[in-house]
Amino acid sequence: MKFKRKTHEQSTPAGYRQGIRQADEVIAKNDVEIRPDNWQQLALDWFSPHEPDRSELARYIATHQDRLGVAWAREILRLQVFFEAQDYDRIVEHYDRAFRVYSRCALVELWVAGYIMRTSGDFWRARQMYLNAAAELPFFAKPHYELGFMSYLLGDFPGALDQFDQAAARVADDDVELGSRIFYNRGLVRFALGGDRQAAIADVETALRRKPDYPQAKEALRAFRGKLRWVPW
Amino acid sequence: MGTVVNDQPRVEVRTRSYPTRASAERSPLMEFEFAVNQRGNKGKPSMAEIAWSTGDIRLALADLPPIVPPRVRREFQRLLLPWPPGRYVEAYRRSGGILNLFTPPWDEKQDEVWNKLLAEWKAKTFADDSTKRAALSELEQQWNDTPHPFFAGLTPAQVMVGGGPQEAKLAEEFLTQVERNFAKREFVGEGDALIKTLMVLRGWQVEPQRNGQTPMQIITAERNELLTHRARALAVRKP
Repeated sequence: MKFKRKTHEQSTPAGYRQGIRQADEVIAKNDVEIRPDNWQQLALDWFSPHEPDRSELARYIATHQDRLGVAWAREILRLQVFFEAQDYDRIVEHYDRAFRVYSRCALVELWVAGYIMRTSGDFWRARQMYLNAAAELPFFAKPHYELGFMSYLLGDFPGALDQFDQAAARVADDDVELGSRIFYNRGLVRFALGGDRQAAIADVETALRRKPDYPQAKEALRAFRGKLRWVPW
Repeated sequence: MGTVVNDQPRVEVRTRSYPTRASAERSPLMEFEFAVNQRGNKGKPSMAEIAWSTGDIRLALADLPPIVPPRVRREFQRLLLPWPPGRYVEAYRRSGGILNLFTPPWDEKQDEVWNKLLAEWKAKTFADDSTKRAALSELEQQWNDTPHPFFAGLTPAQVMVGGGPQEAKLAEEFLTQVERNFAKREFVGEGDALIKTLMVLRGWQVEPQRNGQTPMQIITAERNELLTHRARALAVRKP
């Protein structure tokens, strides 16, 4: 097995500062100046332009307003720059370094947890973040989807099905990406649990209705109708 | 990795890559668990069977050749210790076999099942201390014998008993195939490699083998059989 990075390690202070400088350059190129009169708006516009994330972040800001401000907004914008650059290590490092002085935000955790899992493989830390998000963001589908996926990885298929059911009940009709993944994965878990081919097919068909261009779902549908092979050998 | 054979002790050196350091470190433990349940030539009882039927760990280890290092002997001794009457907390320190080889290490702190049972017990009111203790003891037994979501659906008792020769063979096949398939792939980090390995493992465990049974079914049945042997051996030993 080859790794792009040998292990997930925090960079040197100089390396981190360089990353921050680069993020600040991106922010400046967008003609953004974070001031006491616009920090809330900028945080909302940059980090959570869409619902339901926007309302949730607004709620967090309102709750912790006295401890947040320009400095916090700057950290949020930098985090968003790292998200957009898909800089896995920097996302986790920046989150760990910059946000520990602020109250935990379930929404930010919900987005960072996946990167924590994929870089360092800190599975249990990520799971706790998703559990927090599921408890604190009861109308969100994503924490349940992620918990379902984690249960599947643990080999807990009934637990995975339960979480995917909860995610399916919460996901918005127009959330193409998440919705299709929820139904696709629920189909696979249903099949793995008891070979319920009809239920599995129905779920994968739903995934394809939501996202017609979904190669894995197309492949799964063919496999469910023929002889299913789970392993690549 | 050293392999012990009855008539001719020898050391085989094998290399294998694992997605995470934790799984590489747990791998020898899985092999030791297989080894204690491995019968010798001509159906000679396994080390575990000797320990169960006699209660004598030294006797169980008597046939180990001198080449076996002290560190490995100590691991065998630990695996052969009698199980506690209460909760099998030692299950947290077992490998859980191939189905759990890659699961990132966890213990009581992460054990949502036990913590929930314990919280419910603490919240309950009992007539007296003895009833309260009895209720806790019942919960411990329930935990021991209930499939645990973090043990890939095995019970802590099934984890404690270790895997047998069929699981050893399946594990070898799986690890060889995964290594071959992932040899040239590049991963973002350990976490990415772990996720991809686990996805293949979970698919593999439900894929029927030539005999129509899935690895999960074979592994569970074999571990149940070992538990039955253990229960019989312990019952015979008791006066």
